[in-house]
Amino acid sequence: MKGQHTRGVLRRRDVIKGAGAVAAGVAVTGFPAIAQNTSLKIGILTPKGGIAATAGENGLRGCQWAVERLNKAGGIAGRKVELVVEEETNAQQTIERFNKLVLQDKVDMVQGVVSTGVALALGPVVEDSKKLTIMWDGTTQDGVTEKLPDARYCFKSTDNECEAVMASLLAIKHFKGKFKTIAGINPDYSYGRNNWAAFKAILKRYGIEYEVVAEQWPKVGNMEVTSFVAALKAAKPDLIFSSLLFADLPVFMQQAHAAELTKSSLMVFPAAGWQHTSLKKAFTPENMLFGHNTLYFGHPNPTPLQKEFVDWYVGTHKDYPHWEADRAYFAMESYKTAVEAAHKAKGGWPSQDDVIDTLKSGIKVQSLGGPGWFRKDNIAEQTFIQGLTTHKNAYDFCTLSTFDTMTSDVLQKPAGADFWKWIETAKFPV
Amino acid sequence: MAAFAEIVLGGLFHAAVLFLVAAGLQLVFGVQKIVNLACGAFYALGAYVGASAAKWAIGVGLPTPLVLVVVLLAGLACAVIGPPLERVLRTVYDRDESFQLLLTFAFLLMFQDLFRIGWGANPQTTGSLFLSFGTLDLGLFKTPAYNVFVIAVAITVAAGLGWFLQRTNFGRLLRATAENRAMAEAVGVNARAMFSVVFTLGVALGTVGGALVVPASAASLDMAAELVVEAFAVVVIGGLGSISGALAGAVIVGLVRAAAIVFYAEAELLAIYAIVIAVLILRPAGLFGKEAV
Repeated sequence: MKGQHTRGVLRRRDVIKGAGAVAAGVAVTGFPAIAQNTSLKIGILTPKGGIAATAGENGLRGCQWAVERLNKAGGIAGRKVELVVEEETNAQQTIERFNKLVLQDKVDMVQGVVSTGVALALGPVVEDSKKLTIMWDGTTQDGVTEKLPDARYCFKSTDNECEAVMASLLAIKHFKGKFKTIAGINPDYSYGRNNWAAFKAILKRYGIEYEVVAEQWPKVGNMEVTSFVAALKAAKPDLIFSSLLFADLPVFMQQAHAAELTKSSLMVFPAAGWQHTSLKKAFTPENMLFGHNTLYFGHPNPTPLQKEFVDWYVGTHKDYPHWEADRAYFAMESYKTAVEAAHKAKGGWPSQDDVIDTLKSGIKVQSLGGPGWFRKDNIAEQTFIQGLTTHKNAYDFCTLSTFDTMTSDVLQKPAGADFWKWIETAKFPV
Repeated sequence: MAAFAEIVLGGLFHAAVLFLVAAGLQLVFGVQKIVNLACGAFYALGAYVGASAAKWAIGVGLPTPLVLVVVLLAGLACAVIGPPLERVLRTVYDRDESFQLLLTFAFLLMFQDLFRIGWGANPQTTGSLFLSFGTLDLGLFKTPAYNVFVIAVAITVAAGLGWFLQRTNFGRLLRATAENRAMAEAVGVNARAMFSVVFTLGVALGTVGGALVVPASAASLDMAAELVVEAFAVVVIGGLGSISGALAGAVIVGLVRAAAIVFYAEAELLAIYAIVIAVLILRPAGLFGKEAV
């Protein structure tokens, strides 16, 4: 729905009507009604096809729920929110759509972007355009190196390695002494390679002796994994570490189970949460270390916010949400909180710079999966959840029997730090 | 020894999947001289419809073997899209090859959107159907019975196609039309009807293949484009238009890939395309293709 912008000459009667509306608006919402005359246009860039389509769908649902909810409560500082959704595809096309949102649709800000490959290319464009943008899951890291350390307008998600760092720490906590040989099967791009390298670096940091017996790099989107399973089985690893996260993960798990690989090896899967409902009990083992990133739908003590969202999601979509919904909610809630805080401080509608300064100040928000905020270098801090799987539940897929939560301030390198050096000296909670 | 046998079996399973995609591609090119990029979309259609059929059949409580029959019949039923699509293709038979590529690629992209509209962005699976077939004890090792079944079906399809093309009257007519369309038409062969049947048969190979493999895999939006790339490696190695070539090419690609994954995973694609390049240099028409005169 496009917003209705009425332009024309003001008549005296209109001014009187407007004054009445202002008074009524202030009385109801606490914000001047003059701002309510125009909606806030927020551009959304989200994948609708390809390997990240599921994530995009989950994110968009989380975003739409957030908007529906905040619009019912009067909008952001009194202005209703209107979404303009564009598809995230490859970097070049997504940049064109970002420019379209900014120049043609004249959105007030932009949210979205799941792929770091896209975000890396889009980041400098965001800075050039000077349009506030909050990314759901995209970072501006080239490998593990931040390429936009002095960003002002571009707000990024947590570093991609957070879940690998957490899973490595928990693997040590739960499985120390139970493995000697390790194998990795990770997606063949920087995320998979960095996660595997981080796992090995953390084992080394803790002085755990290991021998790598296999390293597999399936191409992203590859659905035929029998040869990978056969190669892993031949290597006989005590522990398998995998950052598979797309639709290939349930296929791998099914084939691994049929080949009895899941019986013989410990499993550490930091990003499995993207496929949580597809990982059926029939083929997903118990006591597998399973990462849910920033949202675990089955939290035994959920906040009222998470409970409300999960109930809505299940009721509306007959499905269970994963972390992308939380990332999208976090982006919207961060913007809302920053605008309203800046509005209150200023006593009027804040400028974009006011909102950015508020976001950079580290203002905390309650997201679906836990608290989060932005650092001064525009990188998000969020709450991560991982644990061991169980079959003891009412679903046909695995949930967690035990779980740990960690905020990303202990899982990602500080601003300006080298990731690999940071691992050598960081104070970890395990 | 057990590990080696398992790796070979893994390679043969991949070869079976590739053969089922490439066979339709070969058949259509062999007779109609059209490089059908949409073959991956037909495979994906079979997988999506097969996954839905499996969910329905499991939902109504059919026993596992009957579920599989329903899945395969659903894949076969998808071949009804063959004649109308072939009707559209007629517009480019006499035009430059680039139009044919463009049109079949358009089909591929359109199907991808139709899958998204019909099934959403989530990959579709058949739940635990794959596991309900159990494992097969081959002495040295155990392996998923369904993987062996897929390999067996691919071999049967290859043998059946060979018999059909070599031993039946219709097969002879097909080969005659492929060799010389004008001559075949001069002796009374209805080439237009022949093209429609061949294209539909090519579609059926893809859709049944997709339905067959989906229990061991998943139907996803990317699978159509993903498989087309590897299927082309198969046909280049085997020879464009040759069913025997599709079989040989698929086995070579499957086994080379399996070996690369074990010995040096980084070289998985490099190993396949090194063979493609070697074939293009040493035998440009492919192992079973006919040299241009």
